[in-house]
Amino acid sequence: MIDIIKEQNNYLLVDIKLHEANMASADAFKTEIVSLLDTHHKKVILSLHQVNYIDSTFLGALVSALKHAISLKLDIALVGLKKDIYDLMTLIRLDKVFKIYDSFTDATTAD
Amino acid sequence: MTATPTLKKILLVDDNPLFLKMMAKAFNKAGFECVIAHSANEAIRHMATDVPHAILSDYQMPIMNGIEFRKYVLKQPLLKDIPFIFLTDFSDKDLVITGLGLQAIDYVLKDTPVSVIVTKLYNLLNTVSKQRELSEMEVKKAAAALNIRTVPQKAPDIEGYEINFWHQTFQDIPGGDFIDFIPVTDRFNFIILGDVMGKKWMAWFLSFSFLSYIRAAVRFGVSSQEYSPAGILAKVNEIICGDDALKDILATLSLLMVDKETNQITYAGAGDLPVIHYQAKTKKFEQLRCSGLLLGMFADGQYDEKQIDMRSGDQLFIFTDGIIDYATADGAKSDYNLFTAQLEKLTGSSNSFNKVKQFLIQHPPHTVVDDSSIIHIYKK
Repeated sequence: MIDIIKEQNNYLLVDIKLHEANMASADAFKTEIVSLLDTHHKKVILSLHQVNYIDSTFLGALVSALKHAISLKLDIALVGLKKDIYDLMTLIRLDKVFKIYDSFTDATTAD
Repeated sequence: MTATPTLKKILLVDDNPLFLKMMAKAFNKAGFECVIAHSANEAIRHMATDVPHAILSDYQMPIMNGIEFRKYVLKQPLLKDIPFIFLTDFSDKDLVITGLGLQAIDYVLKDTPVSVIVTKLYNLLNTVSKQRELSEMEVKKAAAALNIRTVPQKAPDIEGYEINFWHQTFQDIPGGDFIDFIPVTDRFNFIILGDVMGKKWMAWFLSFSFLSYIRAAVRFGVSSQEYSPAGILAKVNEIICGDDALKDILATLSLLMVDKETNQITYAGAGDLPVIHYQAKTKKFEQLRCSGLLLGMFADGQYDEKQIDMRSGDQLFIFTDGIIDYATADGAKSDYNLFTAQLEKLTGSSNSFNKVKQFLIQHPPHTVVDDSSIIHIYKK
């Protein structure tokens, strides 16, 4: 469900390979991303460019993964959000807890 | 024979392209959707984005054989419960025992007539589906017997107002949405709309815990003369963040306090969608946005509140995210602005709830798996 596109000293660039990020895949996604954080111990920059729809269960998994990252003193940043998804995240104030960038380049140069 | 009304998806895994073709043809003819994979690795790649209802896999395959494939599937939380049947060229007792030991439901000899294999699978899926229905029915019965509900049977009477709500479950399975109306004094009433983020039954069970905390916080708040929805949200959040049983569980919440004396409503939100306020005098619609974060996210949820002056004919719409889901050519999308544009078309100087309700019944939200709720407040 997720692919590591690039690994650098301080971060991983990761792609979510889903068009609909919903309840059916939320648990598996959380397991994979938590395992990535535990194994690599690096900040994760997550691309959602393939994702057209995200439901509240999957958002819950995403936030839960962020909480895990913070507990390890790491972070999860989001890139490549489609407009509808960006709007939804802003409406429910998730833009205050996730760093959101337009592209991998913006996310990596922001550090 | 036809497949069950919702098209069931079968994943066929075999390195023999001819056999795959023949089986796919038979399954398609019987009304199943058939996905084929020429190796276990191809099947694994496919299942990363598309989960089937059943898997039929060959034993003998190069690189990763059927047993290794089965072991892989069993380790995946999302895939391990999918009915799995082994196909084999020969009746090898040891292989059969190993296969069944790996919780494969059955094994089928490849020289079995295709129509028999199709019937076997059809019966298997029917049994699985009936078992699931029975389990869900048992839980529903138990909930009904205990008289526990997360959505009230009717809206309250609040002097000077008309309150209505509409709630739709996904396929009749309760979800994480919860609604409550609490009359705390002659002067104040609280209105609650929340959504626990999580899987159907799990979210439903957890919504009781959330609702209990919120009810308690409202009552304690009032008993200590705290008439502040933001203050109440902060307290609820503090308790939830400290409760290990709710670790990693998040919820949205809209909390409104109706003051009958001042004609004011105070609103505080936790990660909820902005509330819509229709002002009858100016015929304008305003989005009321609070800054509070989802309940259970961080100990400091940054809760604030908005004062709303309710004049005659004014209306408030409070709703959960299931309401703003729409079907598209590619699947689904969430579109708050599209829904608010529809609300604006339906809302006028008189009470608009029935029009909105009719619209929602005729054009139900396209939720993939979620439930949907809306509360409407009309000032007489």
